[in-house]
Amino acid sequence: MNVVVLVKQIPDPEALVAIGGDGVSLDIEQKFAMNLFDEFAIEEALRIKAKHAGKVKVITLGSRKAIEALRTGIAMGADEAVLLEDEAFLAGDGYATALVLSRAIAKEPFDIILCGRQAIDDDRGEVGPMVAQFLGLPHVGGILKLDVADGRAVAEVAVEGGKETVEVQLPALFTAQKGLNEPRVPLITGVMRAMKAQIARATAADLGLATAQAGRPGSKVKVVQYSPPKKKPAVQIIPGAPREAAIEAVRILMDVERVL
Amino acid sequence: MDKILVFVEAKGDGPRKVSLELLSEGLKLVGSGQFSMEAVFLGKLPGTVKGKILHYTEKLIHVTDPALENYTAEGYAMALAGYARETGAKMILAGATQRARDFLPRVAVLLQTGIASDVTGANWDSNPMTFIRPMYGGRVLAEVSFSAYPAIVTARPNSFGVGASLAQKGEFAEFQAGISPGQVKTSVIKREETTLGKVDLTEADLIVAGGRGLKAAENFRLIEELARTIGATVGATRAVVDAKWRDQADQVGKSGKTVSPKLYMGAGISGAIHHIMGMDTAKVVLAINNDPHAIIFNYANYGIVGDLFEVLPAMTEELRNRLGK
Ligand SMILES: Cc1cc2nc3c(=O)[nH]c(=O)nc-3n(C[C@H](O)[C@H](O)[C@H](O)COP(=O)(O)OP(=O)(O)OC[C@H]3O[C@@H](n4cnc5c(N)ncnc54)[C@H](O)[C@@H]3O)c2cc1C
Repeated sequence: MNVVVLVKQIPDPEALVAIGGDGVSLDIEQKFAMNLFDEFAIEEALRIKAKHAGKVKVITLGSRKAIEALRTGIAMGADEAVLLEDEAFLAGDGYATALVLSRAIAKEPFDIILCGRQAIDDDRGEVGPMVAQFLGLPHVGGILKLDVADGRAVAEVAVEGGKETVEVQLPALFTAQKGLNEPRVPLITGVMRAMKAQIARATAADLGLATAQAGRPGSKVKVVQYSPPKKKPAVQIIPGAPREAAIEAVRILMDVERVL
Repeated sequence: MDKILVFVEAKGDGPRKVSLELLSEGLKLVGSGQFSMEAVFLGKLPGTVKGKILHYTEKLIHVTDPALENYTAEGYAMALAGYARETGAKMILAGATQRARDFLPRVAVLLQTGIASDVTGANWDSNPMTFIRPMYGGRVLAEVSFSAYPAIVTARPNSFGVGASLAQKGEFAEFQAGISPGQVKTSVIKREETTLGKVDLTEADLIVAGGRGLKAAENFRLIEELARTIGATVGATRAVVDAKWRDQADQVGKSGKTVSPKLYMGAGISGAIHHIMGMDTAKVVLAINNDPHAIIFNYANYGIVGDLFEVLPAMTEELRNRLGK
């Protein structure tokens, strides 16, 4: 069973994000972490490998700092890592990013692709389903359980008010949801291995892509400008003993804000 | 005239509220004289749902195919992309529901266009139209435009209002998707329903959420009673979901659901950034916490510094009095 895992290195959720003077760039504090949902994807890939043998390959598209995410993957137990690194790949929308990733995945035979439900920096949640469509494969989004046998997979997903069990022919793509598993913490031997590991690289040319197909030029959706969110007015603390404050809060919600 | 398709979903015996929100926006655009609009429904269409949709659109297209019996991302994507291609649609609007966010990216690839996901606003009048998307958990708003068409947009529930219904019912037509057998490689083999009929957090107007300050699973009763009194949906922090006090489906935040209610009441919640990221587009926030320095007060409109075990029952009682319950 060959499993490919797509991962993304993202700014730490607490990193400061400032809007550049031009209004179309962001200045992000250099604090990074692997996208939370991708850790579930790697863990699941490693469990599949433990059961069915085979190989786990982690792929990321990004600049050099993204190597950290690949090393984390290897430290957890992945066999191979590929960095898709090219100026031409940067600042792409979901479409352009998924196109590059799908070309990279198609370089070698595989059975399963796993990725996170969404990256929690740009919050698009588009790339997984798009990669599946570029490759003409089925996908199941936001899985909570995955069982693989005989060229098929059975996955569980939470749907509104319940749960659905879905069967799908392999190869297929799955996006990981919180609750799928508990990602392992890398062992020190894994960390050592990751530090020494060779990271393969691929550029647009290696994937047979023209620079106009990737990154911002290849994007169908473009950022016109960034702006800060509206500031909330300072909090109004409702004074008084708990009972009085509670009664006053009800009055405000019903008579002033009229939300009840 | 440019054609707008609004992908409509059902819940219970009616269209989803977010579908009505987008149909209402669409009707405004139709009113400007430059657009025509069609509501598009995929799969089994109950009569009551159909009747209600027809009061919010000039035309409803029911896309049918045996492959649409159950939801699969592949089947829905092929069907909607097929119809959009057939009619030369310029824009596809949908609520940013779990389902729409799952299959519309595939539609984008099939039509070689892009998607703006989970937008919270639109500048319909600018040329080209632009859409507002929160990024980095709401710390930045990106204004985006399309360079390929149809423009596919999913909008966060409660970002737009539901307008008045039309006096006259719209037209109805069917469209056969013509998906060939074997094209869909996914099949639904089981469906378990646990909490059917409840308003989902993502679409709720009113939310009462609790955190670790509740101290034990059984104390969520206080949250539930307050919620029941006002018809609110219950939310929770990750800390209490991880402690198994509440189901994963109740989690608000970065690794849970993004909500956008009119009123968000949070009790015993510290206000960690991961939680805030899931609720910072709520219109009115009331926080109850016994620590005057709790971060959640920075994101609240109103705050009560006090013991939730006293405040919550007092609020429930006062609301019962005032609402005559
Ligand atoms: C990658 C990542 C993703 C995450 N995603 C999410 C997410 O999606 N959603 C989420 O919620 N969290 C998320 N978290 C966790 C988050 O960082 C916090 O740990 C969590 O939100 C804290 O939950 P809490 O407010 O219930 O608990 P605590 O932080 O323990 O706060 C409890 C609060 O209750 C108050 N309190 C105690 N007793 C009383 C009383 N009697 N009356 C009134 N107030 C009282 C305390 O003053 C305190 O402020 C994530 C964390 C990480 C690292």
